[in-house]
Amino acid sequence: MKTGIFICHCGHNIKHTVDIKRLKEYFKHYFNVEVAEDYPFVCSEPGQDMIKNNVETHRLDRVIIASCTPALHQELFKDLVKKAGMNPFLLRRVSIREHCSWIGDNIEKNTEKAIKLIKAGLYASVHYIPLEEKQVDVTKSALVIGGGVSGLSAALFLSQMGMQVYLVEKEAELGGHVRNLKNIWPARIDGKEIVERMASALLQRDNVEIFTSTTIRSFEGSFGNYQAALDTLEGEKKIIAGGVIVAIGFSPFNAQLKPEFAYGKDERILTTLDFEKGFDRLTLPEKPRIAILYCVGSRDEMIGKPYCSRVCCINALRVAEKVKERYKDSYVESFYMDVRAHPRGGEEYFEDTQEKGVLFTRGNIAEIIPESRGLLLRGEDTLLTMPFEREFDLAVLSIGMSPPLDNQYIASLLKIILDKDKFFLEAHPKIRPYDTALKGIFIAGTCSGPKDIEESINHGRASAIKLYGLLNLGYTFVEPFIALVDTKRCSGCRACEQTCVAKAIKFDESRRVAHVEEAACMGCGLCNSTCPSSAISLKGHLDSYIGDEIGAILEAI
Amino acid sequence: MTEEKKDKNPEIVGFACSFCSFKASEMAGSLRMKYPEGVKLIQVPCSSRVDPAFVIKAIFEGADGVFVAGCHPGDCHFIKGNYYTRRKIAALKEMFNAFSIKNKIRLFWVSASEARRFVEKVSNMYNEIKEAKT
Repeated sequence: MKTGIFICHCGHNIKHTVDIKRLKEYFKHYFNVEVAEDYPFVCSEPGQDMIKNNVETHRLDRVIIASCTPALHQELFKDLVKKAGMNPFLLRRVSIREHCSWIGDNIEKNTEKAIKLIKAGLYASVHYIPLEEKQVDVTKSALVIGGGVSGLSAALFLSQMGMQVYLVEKEAELGGHVRNLKNIWPARIDGKEIVERMASALLQRDNVEIFTSTTIRSFEGSFGNYQAALDTLEGEKKIIAGGVIVAIGFSPFNAQLKPEFAYGKDERILTTLDFEKGFDRLTLPEKPRIAILYCVGSRDEMIGKPYCSRVCCINALRVAEKVKERYKDSYVESFYMDVRAHPRGGEEYFEDTQEKGVLFTRGNIAEIIPESRGLLLRGEDTLLTMPFEREFDLAVLSIGMSPPLDNQYIASLLKIILDKDKFFLEAHPKIRPYDTALKGIFIAGTCSGPKDIEESINHGRASAIKLYGLLNLGYTFVEPFIALVDTKRCSGCRACEQTCVAKAIKFDESRRVAHVEEAACMGCGLCNSTCPSSAISLKGHLDSYIGDEIGAILEAI
Repeated sequence: MTEEKKDKNPEIVGFACSFCSFKASEMAGSLRMKYPEGVKLIQVPCSSRVDPAFVIKAIFEGADGVFVAGCHPGDCHFIKGNYYTRRKIAALKEMFNAFSIKNKIRLFWVSASEARRFVEKVSNMYNEIKEAKT
C-alpha cells in the first residue's frame, strides 16, 4: 500500500500552533507511507497540482490530507484525486485545524494530537475499499415554502428557468409582512405593489402551482425526489419535488414579552407594525409628543434576543418621518442604543431625519407608565448617565424580528437545523450561505436571520439559482455508504430487520438470511451495530477501520 | 498508581454523529473555543453506528473515558437512530456499573449549532475524569 500524506499550513492557522516539520519527519519513514509533504495552502492551485503530481508519479493508492475539517473542500479534493486516477473513496481528510490547532494553544500538545489524528487516518485508510457513486435521476421541480418576497422571487426565477414550481403559503394571501408596509424606504413604493407585481407575474406562468391556506403535513425522500403531502383547502395533495426552498419569514417580536413597556394595556402604546396599519386613523393633539423606542426585542440578552434585527432602525426613522410630515410642530424623541442605519443611504436618511427636527437621546427606557393625561417614560440617559422622566402622547416600539412561529415544525419535518437564536442555520456562513446541511434544501429570506426587503429578495433569488444549478443536471450521485450482508455469517435472527428505520432490510424467507434493498438504505449503520454476528457492514464505515482508528488514537497500535 | 501515570492527562475518545455533534465540534473549532487536547473524535454517520464493542474496545486499549454524542431526541437525521443509541448505552452503563467504571462512559446530545454545549460537555467530562485520576 502506498499512502501519501499532505499536510496543510493553512497559512498561519495550522502552522502557528502545530509543529509541521515534526509531523512531516514523523510520517516520512512511517510504515506504508510513500510520501509526506507539507504546503502553505493545499487547497490552492499549486497545492492541488502538488497532490496530483505526487499521486501520479508515486502511483499512490491512499491519500491523506491533513488540513481543515472534512466539511470544507471535500468535493474539490475528491475530484482532484479522481483526476489523478485514484478512487475518491480512498481519500481521507484529517481535521488538524478545527479539531486541533484552533482548540488549544500549546504547540507541543497540539503536535502530539495531530500525530495521533493523522495516524488514525492512516490506519483507517488501510481498510478503505474503492466505491462507486451511483447515478440517479432527479425531478426538475421545486417546492417553495412561504409566499413572502423571498419565496415569491425564488419561485419566479425557477419558473422563468422552466422548472415546475409548487408554492405553498399558509395564509390566504401571498405577500407576507411586506404586503402591509407602505411607502417603503428607499424606493418609496408600497409593499403591496412589490408583492403584487411578483404575484401577478407568477400567476401568468403555467408551470407554477400556488397553494394558499396550505400547510405541509408530511415530508420524506432524498435530494432529487422529495415527496410532500400538502393539506390544502380542497383536501390532501401529494407532490414530488427535486428540491426545496424554505422561505417562511419571521414573526414580529411580541412586545408583551417586555411587560415594563405596558404594550397591550394602553392603546397609546404601539409597535411599528401597528403604527404602519393604524397611523392614519389615530387622533392626536395638534402638537403631539411622540416617543420612539429602539431595539425592542433586539440586542437584549435578558429576553434571549442578543442579535441586531437590522431593519428596525430604518423602520423607526420612517415612523419619525411620517409623524413629522403630518404634524409639523410635533415633538418626536427617539431613544436609542445605537442607530445602525445599515443599508446604502441609511446614514444620510438618519441625518435627514435629524434635520427635520427629530430628537435622538441615547438612553434606555426602564418603563412606560400609562397615566390619564399621557404616558410617563422613565429611563436613563446613557451619555449623561442621568435618570430622566418625560411625558408623551404616544409611544412607538420599534420591534425586532423573531424566528418564524413554524420554525420548530418545519425544522423537524425537513430535518434541517436551527441556530441558537432559533433561526434556520446555513451550512456555512461564508462559503455556503444559502444551503442547509441537506442537499437540495435551501433557505431564503428572514427565516435564516433578520434581513431587509432587498436582501430577502436577493436571498430568494440566490437560493433559486443554487437549486436550479443542482437540479438542471438532471441527475445526482448518491453516496455509496450502504449496508451489505455477508450471507454466510447471517444467522437469520432478524434483529436488523426490526431496527431498520428505512425499512431497507427484507428477510429472504427461502434462504433464511437478511437482504438490503440498496435504494432504500440511508446509510446510518444501525443494522451494522445491531447485528450480533457481525454479518452486516456499512460500506465506507467498516467495523475494522473504526476499530483501528480507536487503536491509533490511543496509540495501542 | 505510579507517579508517571498520575501526571498523564486523560485520553478521551468521542464518537460524534456527522449530522449534529461532529458539526458542533467543527463549529467550536471555527469559533476558536478551547477544550482539552485529550479529547479526540471519531466521526460516525449516526450515533447508532456506534457498536457497544467500540466503546469496550476503546476502554480496553487504554481510554480514560469514552463518550457518544448524537442529535437531540426527535432530531435524528435517520429518524430514530439516537433512540437506539440511548438504549444501547443504557445497557452498557449497567455493565460498566458492575465493574465500577461507570464514570468512564457518557452519552450526550449536542445539536449542530451548540458549539458551546459541546465544549462544556467534553470539558466537564475531561475535568471530572482527571480529578478522579489524581
